[in-house]
Amino acid sequence: MKHSKMTLSAETMNLGFVKKVEQLSGSSVRRCFQCGKCSAGCPMRSFMEHPPNRIVRLLQLGQFERVLAGRSIWYCASCETCTTRCPNKVDLAAIMDALRKLSWDAQGPSKESLVQLANRLFIDNIRTYGRQYEMRLAAVFNLKSGKLLKDFMLGPSLFTKGKLKVFHKKNRNIGEIERIFSRIEELRRKGEAT
Amino acid sequence: MTPAKNILNYSYYPGCSLHASAKEYDESTRGLFKALKIGLHEVPDWLCCGATPAHNVDELLSLSLCAKNLELSNQVDGDLAVACAACFSRLKVTQHRLAENEEKRHQVAYALDAPLALDKPVKHLLEILATDFGLDRLAAAVQKPLSGLKVACYYGCLLTRPPDVPELDDCEDPSIMERVIGATGAETVSWSHRMECCGANFTLSRPGVVLKLSGEILASAKRGGADCIMVACPLCHGNLDIRQKEIEEASGRHYGMPVFYMTQLLALAAGVSTSKLGFGSMMVSPVSLLKEKGLL
Repeated sequence: MKHSKMTLSAETMNLGFVKKVEQLSGSSVRRCFQCGKCSAGCPMRSFMEHPPNRIVRLLQLGQFERVLAGRSIWYCASCETCTTRCPNKVDLAAIMDALRKLSWDAQGPSKESLVQLANRLFIDNIRTYGRQYEMRLAAVFNLKSGKLLKDFMLGPSLFTKGKLKVFHKKNRNIGEIERIFSRIEELRRKGEAT
Repeated sequence: MTPAKNILNYSYYPGCSLHASAKEYDESTRGLFKALKIGLHEVPDWLCCGATPAHNVDELLSLSLCAKNLELSNQVDGDLAVACAACFSRLKVTQHRLAENEEKRHQVAYALDAPLALDKPVKHLLEILATDFGLDRLAAAVQKPLSGLKVACYYGCLLTRPPDVPELDDCEDPSIMERVIGATGAETVSWSHRMECCGANFTLSRPGVVLKLSGEILASAKRGGADCIMVACPLCHGNLDIRQKEIEEASGRHYGMPVFYMTQLLALAAGVSTSKLGFGSMMVSPVSLLKEKGLL
């Protein structure tokens, strides 16, 4: 990735954004002293423009546009290796969750955020059925992402192996599940939850 | 040994995959527990734990779904037995996060519209077998020793991370899987990638990630001299087993490495009929390996 020159001043540093990330993630961003252990152990490092420790450094400098641009935040696998190894108890996996939420809320989907499309369909399935309907999840993802034939060749053998459950019943308590979703939305409307 | 140990009884949260793509994990878990005379009773009306996607998108929803499952689990006696590493992790994370954060506790109670009931101990099958049942009794229950079978125990991410949450074993150097399968006489190999990520839920959105990460895991198990890999997570299983042929095609390397759920191997050793172990559901067939080792 091309690195453009960074000028730091009150105008170019968005420190309110850092506070938002800390509040959402429940983790300090400021405690990081750049030892780099998170990036050394990150299995997804090779897919990211910014390694995890640089993400934190850019956050400390209020450079949220650089953090949210590109693919880095969308390629975190939530494996928790960084959180486990941080000597300063910076919960980087939770910070990545917070960044994805802030990015999606502010900018909507991008070409890099396919994983979040899959995640959202996964959650829609819970709201509709209660339990995950794997076959529908894969089919709807392919439809919505325009990758119609992805894993098409796996279908017949999964079916033969009994791994594709074609029919799926809704939970008996689906009303209670819907209520959880709508009450969370209500909390957010009232400004009582982020 | 206390008499109470002879009447172990658990409530059971199978999780979504165990009713679908990982049904062999469910069948072999039930078969194993029956053979060991451990009670296992499914929680009625349980719902999806939200897994990784829920907390990636909405932490409050993730905590609420798990809190609802913990509430539902109180309908059945006994600590909550969980097979899937991801469900186990999410349920434990929820107990931890809500114990330490009053504001979130209030929000989740509001979402559930009920007082929170989060106290039921959540235990992974490994913990039940190693600690509650005990390795000596497990070894004594073996009818078909797995001697000569070289097993690479694969922990993946969520059985031990983040620290302080799963409380299953050391978060960097665990041994519980090796100890449990070792009780059957199986040989466990030493290998480098037992705690590396398999690519997880990128299997749906970016399968290329899985081909790289899971490919490295298969290569490492092969280097370690393993005959097979043992897992405790349906997503890891899908990535290592279902995608193994694609990984071979992409890398030009042949593995032919059967990937077992831990309970398939344990139930085999405990003498459960092979018709109940779901070997036919595995994409990489273990039949020739098990025949070669005299286990089929």
